[in-house]
Amino acid sequence: MSCLHDHSCEDHNCSADWSLHTHIDLSKVSALNEAVAGSVKSVFKPWNRRLDTSEGFLESNDGDPELLVFIPFTSDVKIKSISVVGGSGGTSPSKMRAFINRDGIDFSDAQNMQPVQEWDLNENLQGLLEYQTRYSRFQGVGNLTLHFPDNFGGDTTQIYYIGLKGEATQLKRDVVATIVYEITPNPSDHKTRADAGSLAHVE
Amino acid sequence: MVLEATMICIDNSEWMRNGDYAPSRFQAQADAINLICGAKTQSNPENTVGVLTMAGNGVRVLVTPTSDLGKILSCIHGLVVGGEANLTAAIQVAQLALKHRQNKRQQQRIIVFAGSPIKYDNKTLEAIGRKLKKNSVALDVVNFGESDDGKPEKLEALITAVNNNDSSHIVHVPAGQNALSDVLISTPIVTGDGDEGSGFVAAASVAAAGGGGLSGFDFGVDPNVDPELALALRISMEEERARQEAAAKRAAEQAAEQEKVRELASGSRDDTMAEPVSNSTLMVDDKGHNLTSQDDEAALLEQALAMSMDVAKSGTAPVVDTDMSDATVDDQELAYALQMSVQDSARDMSSQSEMSKVLEDQSFVSSILNSLPGVDPNDPSLKDLLASLQGESEPQQKQKEDKPEEDHDD
Repeated sequence: MSCLHDHSCEDHNCSADWSLHTHIDLSKVSALNEAVAGSVKSVFKPWNRRLDTSEGFLESNDGDPELLVFIPFTSDVKIKSISVVGGSGGTSPSKMRAFINRDGIDFSDAQNMQPVQEWDLNENLQGLLEYQTRYSRFQGVGNLTLHFPDNFGGDTTQIYYIGLKGEATQLKRDVVATIVYEITPNPSDHKTRADAGSLAHVE
Repeated sequence: MVLEATMICIDNSEWMRNGDYAPSRFQAQADAINLICGAKTQSNPENTVGVLTMAGNGVRVLVTPTSDLGKILSCIHGLVVGGEANLTAAIQVAQLALKHRQNKRQQQRIIVFAGSPIKYDNKTLEAIGRKLKKNSVALDVVNFGESDDGKPEKLEALITAVNNNDSSHIVHVPAGQNALSDVLISTPIVTGDGDEGSGFVAAASVAAAGGGGLSGFDFGVDPNVDPELALALRISMEEERARQEAAAKRAAEQAAEQEKVRELASGSRDDTMAEPVSNSTLMVDDKGHNLTSQDDEAALLEQALAMSMDVAKSGTAPVVDTDMSDATVDDQELAYALQMSVQDSARDMSSQSEMSKVLEDQSFVSSILNSLPGVDPNDPSLKDLLASLQGESEPQQKQKEDKPEEDHDD
């Protein structure tokens, strides 16, 4: 399920479409099996800089083409399509599997679990290919995990750019963290306006 | 203060009965584990530590990663030595235990105590290492106990395969005088990566090494334990530093003049006079943590201060000396120089001693003022007050005092 742009990119502002990267929580982006720790952050940038490798790129360890990228967002997003720019010489990833709203996936989890959606990728050196998602499954995404199990035969897998197209809602899917639970209820902690004026109270 | 979940793999195989580490290998291991658990939980309260045994009836997890130190220590308590250690299975089980940690934000670390001989080949170990690296698990290895051929190399190969950005370490501990835990205290296995130096480690290292290894705090005293002592040490250190800085500036000023006197005079007296000055500059460079040696140097420093002050004041005196030496014999010039300096010092000593006392007090006062929260030492009214305290001191000296004050500004 891939499509090429059917218009010339000078007329249409493609950059504006691929704007979900601004909603990514870059400090919490992480990757497993990356050769240089932290290099995964350089992969998320504006669309017009997608071929720019001056800040580095994501590369897997030698001899092991698997990569796992964890992308948390600052608010819930709806993802319409994904674009991946890989390296040349067989280092582009050949498959992509996506998981939604799951924390702390590692390789054994990723290999055993059923992904929300998976794609066969083509080599996309110019970044013009995009892969559409089953939109109904990608509503309310708090974090996205992308697993690239294989590449086109290279020693390592190189990824220069990951683009996300879609919309951001302003909602945040938050984990319940600050609730105080009572072991026994104490009515004086739960005064209602009706009680405030009454004479009786329980100590 | 990195947030970490650690799994410790204990070797409780038959080889641990040996007594070459006092009291027995197993007991030394248990002490080392106590130390590591304490250090980890102290460095970050959210750190968790778990323990598993590698030998016995098989690999068994004694306690899953928890931050409860008592639970960890109590489960080491009843362990029995026996069986053969299974390193590969132990590492895999440790990895699994870490994978199911409650707080997914913790970094994963495995610490292995490798006391028994290793029967695996390099290839297997490297494969394990790569798998750990792929899942970003760090590995620390303590190589002790049996040292058959190839064991250190195998473990080094394992660490090289796991190592990502120097987060994995290996320590070889030979049998001997030092206890296992004493050797481990100074290694990054206990102190952690970077400049963590937790208070626990600093205090423990002071106790163990007798004040030698000050990794955490300035004076080997934990401010949490003894705040008054730490404060008193800090104030006296600052006072000493201010004095040394003032002396260094004066010494540097008249160092050039002293040079002339020194190279022309062959007498030993001048050399000894010059030495306190050079000593003081040396001491300034070596702003050591040794407060006791300052007492010995203090007398010399006083002398140097007096010497340098009278040289600064009467700047023409050494120039006159050098002129004289051209014309006269060395001994005579030496005697004349001695006479002049003795006269000057006799004259100025009385006023100097008072002034030096005031100076000391003033630097002490300024350091006290700096440590007070609400006082701004750059306040002009405060500066006037301090200037009046100094009395008839030259504006030059006041400048020097201001500089140490500003240096103390935090």
